[in-house]
Amino acid sequence: MTISRRAFLKTTALALGATAVPSWAHSADLSGLPFPVFDKNALADTALSIAKKLGASYADIRINKYRIESVSTRERQVQSVAKGQNYGFGVRVLVNGTWGFAASPLVTAKEVERVAREAIDIAKANSVFQTKPIVIVDAPKVSGTWKTAMKRDPFDVPINEKTEFLMKLNEAALSVKGVAFVNSSMAWVNEQKFLATSDGSRVEQYVIRGVPNFSVTAVDRAKGDFQTRNALAQGSGMGWEYTSEYDWIGEAKQAGEEAVEKLNAKPIKPGNYDLVLHPSHLFLTIHESVGHSTELDRALLWEANYAGTSFLTPDKTNKLQFGSKIVNFFADRTQIGGLATIGWDDEGVAGQKWDIVKDGRFVGWQTTRSLAPLIGAKTSTGCLHADSWSSVPFPRMPNLSLAPSEEDISTDNLISDVENGIMIRGRGSYSIDQQRYNFQFGGQTFWEIKNGKVTGMLRDVAYQSRTTDFWNACDGLGGKSTYELPGTFNDGKGQPGQSNAVSHGCPSARFRNINVLNTAV
Amino acid sequence: MLLSEKEAKQYTDKILSFVKADDAQVSVSSEKYSHLRFARNAFLTSGNVVEQGANVTVWIDQKRGSSSTSSLEDASLKAMVEEAEEIAIISPVDREYLPTLGPQQYRESSRFAEATANISLKERAQSISEILKESEKSKVISAGFHEARAVSSGFATKNNNFGFEKRTNARLSLTARTVDGASSGYFQRSSVDLAKLDTKRIADESIRKANEGRDPKTIDPGIYTVILEPQAVADLLGSVTIQFDARRAEEGRSPFSEQGGKTKIGQKIFDERINILSDPWNAKVPDSPWAQAGLPAEKIYFVKNGVLENLVYSRFWAKTKDTEPTRGPVNTILESSEPASSMEEMIRSTKRGLIVSRFWYIRTTDPRTASSTGLTRDGVWMVENGKIAYPVSNFRFNQSIVQMLNSGNVEMIGTPERIDDGELLPALKLKEFNFTSQSEAV
Repeated sequence: MTISRRAFLKTTALALGATAVPSWAHSADLSGLPFPVFDKNALADTALSIAKKLGASYADIRINKYRIESVSTRERQVQSVAKGQNYGFGVRVLVNGTWGFAASPLVTAKEVERVAREAIDIAKANSVFQTKPIVIVDAPKVSGTWKTAMKRDPFDVPINEKTEFLMKLNEAALSVKGVAFVNSSMAWVNEQKFLATSDGSRVEQYVIRGVPNFSVTAVDRAKGDFQTRNALAQGSGMGWEYTSEYDWIGEAKQAGEEAVEKLNAKPIKPGNYDLVLHPSHLFLTIHESVGHSTELDRALLWEANYAGTSFLTPDKTNKLQFGSKIVNFFADRTQIGGLATIGWDDEGVAGQKWDIVKDGRFVGWQTTRSLAPLIGAKTSTGCLHADSWSSVPFPRMPNLSLAPSEEDISTDNLISDVENGIMIRGRGSYSIDQQRYNFQFGGQTFWEIKNGKVTGMLRDVAYQSRTTDFWNACDGLGGKSTYELPGTFNDGKGQPGQSNAVSHGCPSARFRNINVLNTAV
Repeated sequence: MLLSEKEAKQYTDKILSFVKADDAQVSVSSEKYSHLRFARNAFLTSGNVVEQGANVTVWIDQKRGSSSTSSLEDASLKAMVEEAEEIAIISPVDREYLPTLGPQQYRESSRFAEATANISLKERAQSISEILKESEKSKVISAGFHEARAVSSGFATKNNNFGFEKRTNARLSLTARTVDGASSGYFQRSSVDLAKLDTKRIADESIRKANEGRDPKTIDPGIYTVILEPQAVADLLGSVTIQFDARRAEEGRSPFSEQGGKTKIGQKIFDERINILSDPWNAKVPDSPWAQAGLPAEKIYFVKNGVLENLVYSRFWAKTKDTEPTRGPVNTILESSEPASSMEEMIRSTKRGLIVSRFWYIRTTDPRTASSTGLTRDGVWMVENGKIAYPVSNFRFNQSIVQMLNSGNVEMIGTPERIDDGELLPALKLKEFNFTSQSEAV
């Protein structure tokens, strides 16, 4: 796709840091089921005072409400429309250097008191055997409200407008001869979060995330073959305007054409190729190889039992040449339209922007208040997040993006300098090892490049590489005109497992001499 | 906090009393959950959570709407029903609508233990502390996760069906790493009853693997004979069970599709000893007494003696195809129709091959052949002339699951073990498995 979301992202308004509590903050009926009205400050006072009295050196309470709305369809029928809400609170305490957490859906003063005591009991039971007490850095006291920048709240949009949008999208794909199936869906999530900490911070946030999606399949029954082309566009931290400002209908028709074309596309001959990767594909490679490897909790073995550790360790900070000199990665929780864009994290640290890789060198970690002291940092970069009131907040990835070239370089410019290569669009099959060295990525569409020009479609392509080899093989970046901000909606990590939504801005980029295999062989 | 059957019935009756729609299915659930997470031989996070919820799906003139809530207050339940009905009124006709089920008989599946539902914080802390002390003594750095979950849930239909069950699962997983970071071992098991969770075995196995994996050799990728431990088989089969969908097969988009909208039912697709089944009453992995839409679950073979016996028909697809809807799956069991082989026999019979403890990050690369990529993790050993010779570094693989289980490629099948809730899988010895690159990850 040539359509960039960047242009309209610039025009969206941001309601940051307002001092007065807005109308939505205490609205009893925002749409759908009514949320009860809580005296959140009084409940917070109860939880925090009990925690302090019973020995907590730090405590926080989150009283959160969530709404979700989803629609799914196939071909010419709506399969399901569902709305849901849930709310509750979680209390986290630090006692004798040991965390305790408890949560409940019963938002009453009596239950808040019970839960605060239970969190203390858990921390105390475990602290008897604690061998490495948790220490947290200070954070400035903050207060205020924050809301996702958007033009139209998707929860104000009638259901029939949503089903009509998906039906049009399906029709566009089905209008292509050879298309047999199309599935489409959309999901919208609204988090209404209240946080109070024992160091005096109190903030409220209203977060919107959405993900339209589709999948088009062409079947060749004579050959017993089928090929699928999924949406290139991804989830976004935008409002309903995302459905009109991006050309979803145009992309659905294009997907139909490409699914049919894939059936007869030329199988890739395995070997080494130069790759030109479109943002709709590259964002996931960034997520897996850069996003996860620069999480400090992984480097310090906190995730060793599940998501894994990292090839990066604190001693490599400011030393390791992560990529070529043109490679600059930055983390940014203030990026408009980002899925991980917030006002404050779940321990009251403000959303911020910082360098991860500068001129190819690894320079920065993703941290929280309890991770920062372990590398001698005085402040957190604000990466603590829980996916629900009932989940323990833990380190999660911010938006982490690849800076575009300062020069006005187009995707065609990058292609023009490739003799034998492949351009890849869209997220496909992806897999990476637990220390983030070895990865394999597929895509949605693959295009042969010969002598500087795209010559036709390929199929069954995946590339394998090693993170630092790959980023050091990057010798070309597109300019701002190629930059997009795709994101992934359900990034799993942690135990108990939690989901995180995060975006990765990037331009088109070129990589030299990468190992490509045929996935059908 | 867990709902009793009587309470669940009261809630489902109440929700149904608010329903004005032609048809409805409602459910209510409650949960108690406790966890302790540890890393670097120290406690990390720990918490207790109670949750509850209700949801409703209604049909008005065959138009469908759904809604859910976490509040069981009367006003919330009433509002939830009204919202679902509002959605139904403005939705198109649900072409796959079938009337909800009338009264059914469910055979109880015993999968609840009080010890799991009422975990002792002090005993858990003590138990994990002993593992951490053993880790220090064995010079490994351990990270792990202990969890205990208890759920009670009930569902009902406007056509007078009602079901209720209580279930528990306790699980411990542990990763032990050597201090130099050059070797790692992992082991996990689960049990309905926390009192029967063998924490010592889990700790001993992961620490042993870490210590026996020291100084691994890096060898070339390629096609090797493999002995997959039950955990590795569970990792791989998690991505293949969804392939048994009848509709996808008949629509021509499954490895079990045949030309002309037909399927491979009745054909031999795997080694003749392989059985893949779902059984709600298996003593090791008891599971839900009901399957899709509340149909009473049954023991069902998907693959029997290597032959594809059944695919999963939804109620709608079964009606379209004039057949019966499938009463499962509720769990995944792979077993041999012949006497099982032990790990020792598998090793002793191997001239040259690799033992794989576990796989990681498995993703489908070609749905037509159920081909996947992924990596080995937490322990790979070379077997030479019937003996474990030395540990080796990790690999990436690219492998078709269908080809992997083909006749001629499956050499030995072990005794199935409960890995987690719903997973009962054996070790497998396979003649050929395709490793495509090395991974230096530990």
